[in-house]
Amino acid sequence: MIEVQHVTKRYGPVTAVDDISFRVERGEILGFLGPNGAGKTTTMRIITGYMPPTEGRAIVAGFDVLEQPIEAKRRTGYLPETPPLYPDMRVSEYLTFVAKVKGVARSQVKARVDGVMERTRIADVARRQCGQLSKGYRQRVGLAQALLHDPEVLILDEPTAGLDPKQIIETRQLIKALAGDHTIVLSTHILPEVSQTCQRVVIINKGRVVAVDTPENLTARVRGSEAMYLQVDGPGPDVSAALTQVPGVSGVTLNDGAGGPVSVEVTSEDGRDVRRELASAVVSRGWGLLELRPMRLSLEEIFLHLTTEDTTAAEPGVAPPEPPQPGQEEETTHA
Amino acid sequence: MRNVLAIAHKEVKAYFDSPIAYVFIGFFALLFGYFFVALLSFFTSQSMQMSMMGAPVNVNQQLITPLFLNTSVVVLFVLPSITMRTYAEEKRSGTIELLLTSPLTDMQIILGKFIGAMTLYAALLAVTVVHIGVLFWKGNPEVLPVLTGYLGLLLMGGCFVSVGLLISSLTKNQIVAAMVTFAVFLLLWVIDWISQFTGPLAQQVLTYLSVTQHLDDFTRGVVDTKHLVYYVSFMAFGLFLTARSVDTERWRG
Repeated sequence: MIEVQHVTKRYGPVTAVDDISFRVERGEILGFLGPNGAGKTTTMRIITGYMPPTEGRAIVAGFDVLEQPIEAKRRTGYLPETPPLYPDMRVSEYLTFVAKVKGVARSQVKARVDGVMERTRIADVARRQCGQLSKGYRQRVGLAQALLHDPEVLILDEPTAGLDPKQIIETRQLIKALAGDHTIVLSTHILPEVSQTCQRVVIINKGRVVAVDTPENLTARVRGSEAMYLQVDGPGPDVSAALTQVPGVSGVTLNDGAGGPVSVEVTSEDGRDVRRELASAVVSRGWGLLELRPMRLSLEEIFLHLTTEDTTAAEPGVAPPEPPQPGQEEETTHA
Repeated sequence: MRNVLAIAHKEVKAYFDSPIAYVFIGFFALLFGYFFVALLSFFTSQSMQMSMMGAPVNVNQQLITPLFLNTSVVVLFVLPSITMRTYAEEKRSGTIELLLTSPLTDMQIILGKFIGAMTLYAALLAVTVVHIGVLFWKGNPEVLPVLTGYLGLLLMGGCFVSVGLLISSLTKNQIVAAMVTFAVFLLLWVIDWISQFTGPLAQQVLTYLSVTQHLDDFTRGVVDTKHLVYYVSFMAFGLFLTARSVDTERWRG
């Protein structure tokens, strides 16, 4: 549905986007993740036809954005970083205007405007001037504007910026509900957003694609083998010895809790689930099993990992990090 | 065409939803009213003298033509503040992103903005219809020179608006847009002043370039093709350059 092919954008000597390529399939939600200044907005502006790329091309719904801009734009809804509102216009007037320039048929304008206001829950401010709205409402009017002509492709630049937690959840639900009929690209630098809404993630840093994958796979890729974190109320060395004997366990690292419960990290052979065995090994010896959880890296950790290490960033794939040390999770990820 | 009108409608609404239109029209009415009274007083005293000498007086030549020429001076000051916001404000507030990512051509946007600004300008001129109407009520001026005079004023305004659009498209700053536009208008106004000190060819060129020279005939009831060509090609060139400017801006990012 969206194809970005070797897109490069230079502003004079500054390269904002450097040879980016990715595809978005029909009905998919793609998260566009990266620190501020990574080139997210520039890439989105190229896809929406706001600016042409220096090199490469973007294809939306089968139309080259540069060659057939009108056709491509007819199928694209775009919410820029700052919602493009006219402060003196009332919300309903504004949406009517946008519907007209987006090419909504005259007979459908009113129905579309009403429908979209309903969907984005802004009907209560229809008579207010855009300039007087709160940040949350502005953002939603911006989203409404992008939905007006029922575009196949939605490009949302930080759709939840400036919303309160309740509005964020509502907006995410709305975006999820829109997927399927629409193909969505949304950018953010808030990580939970991506793992909660997106099926696939493109991580971009300094204008380059660092990784493209599902949030789950990304997590798995960074972590070479499955690791478990345990907190056991028992004597450290004995616990370590007992766990090493559990079949399928390939390594045990102990971090003695100075008299209190001990923390142990256990790695298993290629993704083998050893949780039951670990639990029974601890319990059968009469120790207290306080905690047992898989040590999957959060997206946040992967993100920091990918965007702070230039050596791995240069590769399209993801190099596995050093095996994390127990109790040092924080240090490893922020290194 | 529907797109063009949608933009034009939005532009007009923007003028009338904010105090801009009312301030412009109000103060224009004040100024024009003053000119009208001043010129009318002068005209009545003069016509009294003339009639004592038995010479005929002509309302069109001695009152309406100077009125139109005065109006064009006021327009010179007013139009830059109408056109300054057209592009500069959209760029500043980010709404330009909406327009440039909508299925519109650059020319549709430009024409929409042009028609919008021209509508406000026409509303300004409409104020003067009241005063001219009084002359028709109390006197008997000729209709044709009045109509062609308005046509001339509209055409001249069109040239100014096209220049104003171009300059507004070059900057994000409205004050800069207004100042530069005003300077360019003024230069176009007085460009023939030095013509008598130059060679014969330069003299012709400079005289032809001056916006006022072309207005004169219109206020006397003469619609000369040469003037029409000048105004229309001036406008087309201004709008064309604006389109180039918008496109260049896009490539520069």
